[in-house]
Amino acid sequence: MWVDLIITLVKIFFILAITVGFFAPVLTWVERKQSALMQDRIGANRADIMGFTALGLFHIIADALKMFTKEDFIPDGANKVLHTLSPIIALVPALVTFAVVPFGGQYTLFDKEVNLVISDLDVGLLFVFAIASLATYGYVIAGWSSNNNWSLLGSMRTASQMISYEVTMGLTIIGVLMVYGTMKLTEIGAAQEDFLRWGFFLQPLGFFMFLTASIAENKRIPFDAPEAESELVAGYFTEYSGLKFGMFFMAEFVEMVTIGAIMTILFFGAWHIPFLTTATLLSWFDFLGTTGSNLVVMLIHVGVFFAKVVFFIYLQMIIRWTLPRFRYDQIMKLGWKILLPLSLANIFVTGLVILALN
Amino acid sequence: MTWWEKSYLPEIIKGMWLTSRRFFHNLFGFIPFFLGTAKDRRIMTVYYPEEQVQYPIAYRGRPVLAQNEDGHPACVACGLCEIACPAYCIHIEPGHNTGKQNQYERWPDVFNIDYAICIFCGNCEEACPEEAIFMSDDCEISMLDRKKMLYTKEQLLTPVADLQKRIEFTRNMYAKWNY
Repeated sequence: MWVDLIITLVKIFFILAITVGFFAPVLTWVERKQSALMQDRIGANRADIMGFTALGLFHIIADALKMFTKEDFIPDGANKVLHTLSPIIALVPALVTFAVVPFGGQYTLFDKEVNLVISDLDVGLLFVFAIASLATYGYVIAGWSSNNNWSLLGSMRTASQMISYEVTMGLTIIGVLMVYGTMKLTEIGAAQEDFLRWGFFLQPLGFFMFLTASIAENKRIPFDAPEAESELVAGYFTEYSGLKFGMFFMAEFVEMVTIGAIMTILFFGAWHIPFLTTATLLSWFDFLGTTGSNLVVMLIHVGVFFAKVVFFIYLQMIIRWTLPRFRYDQIMKLGWKILLPLSLANIFVTGLVILALN
Repeated sequence: MTWWEKSYLPEIIKGMWLTSRRFFHNLFGFIPFFLGTAKDRRIMTVYYPEEQVQYPIAYRGRPVLAQNEDGHPACVACGLCEIACPAYCIHIEPGHNTGKQNQYERWPDVFNIDYAICIFCGNCEEACPEEAIFMSDDCEISMLDRKKMLYTKEQLLTPVADLQKRIEFTRNMYAKWNY
């Protein structure tokens, strides 16, 4: 009982440390540097400690300091309670989603089965979408409570965009569910041990549609109409400063990690290495004993999982710095007229193939 | 647009291929530079205040006065640059010798250029018959106080030796002595 509790706490701590403590701050640096390199520039390099810049890594500290010490501004006529609450509502779902995201398989450590997921829900995938759609409230309330026309416009765009693309997202994963026959994220991950049964090969169309829809959900370029700088100042977070703005900012980066993790689990073989089953890996490290070999394999799997997540984050960043923003009507057209019929067709074809193979 | 371009996805992949190529090209040109194994990186931009690029000789920075080898300004205070200046940023008060024969007959007692007003057009340089005023390559003249941007003769004087390239350039450019 106590051991279980400690293991769960360790897992929670690990996930929080790696998302909030590592990915979110480092990604702000990565985005600056990556975009700079892509555009033949050098990128952030001014923040230094004793003349030592560490490739601009100190900008993370500078950012954090700036956000903590900045004036927390609430505009006249704004609803103070909701104005304060909305960044929290926006950030929490992004973090809570990780409760059901497995970052490794099952391992036997000290005669105890350790499942590398905080909570192995039977409806894991549904839980992810249920919680992720809650974030919409945060953005809508943020725009409404700011008492600013641009913010309200931005939040309206957010609401319509997120709802439109959630439909596509939900219908896309039905194809995955039909293939693997389960909603447990751990089981979907475990089912992809064979390289040729990766979601990417079984659901190629679903992969691209899910990627598109999830970038639209995260409101990043090319789907950043809700926060379009050139039209709406900064969209729904125009009136936010200091740490509240930081929370919106962090929510975006944590959501990037979430999308990367979900994509990895659903389509890119989760923690598995191509052509290398867990049993083979375990037999390689047999000389270390049960616990030792399991531990090594666990570390390898977690490393592989996060390497894949990093790949997807890189993909999102490349897309962000490559494509121009869609016009608002183009976003709606893409969502309702192209992706929705395609995802329905995807379900139909998947069903036909499954029926034919049985 | 062809059907292939309209389907959008191939064009996205093409664009991402381009940006990824630039990214990795620069990344691997960047790392050896910081490890110290390569002398120069393959990135075009520079760390500005620490590293500076040589401006082309045609670049028009702040105008300066030429100072002869003996320390005297080459300017004869004819006032042509003052007239040519479209922004009226030059102010000259001439001085001349008092009868004793010496090398110089006229010189400016006061020669002020207000860089807060100057538009860096180079008309003064073109108007000057004595090769006395030149556009330098110095563009770092931003200040917090406007009054400090009014440069006096002493601040403007620059040895002719430093301006040699620009002098050559203006001779070719305006063909001053080829009337």
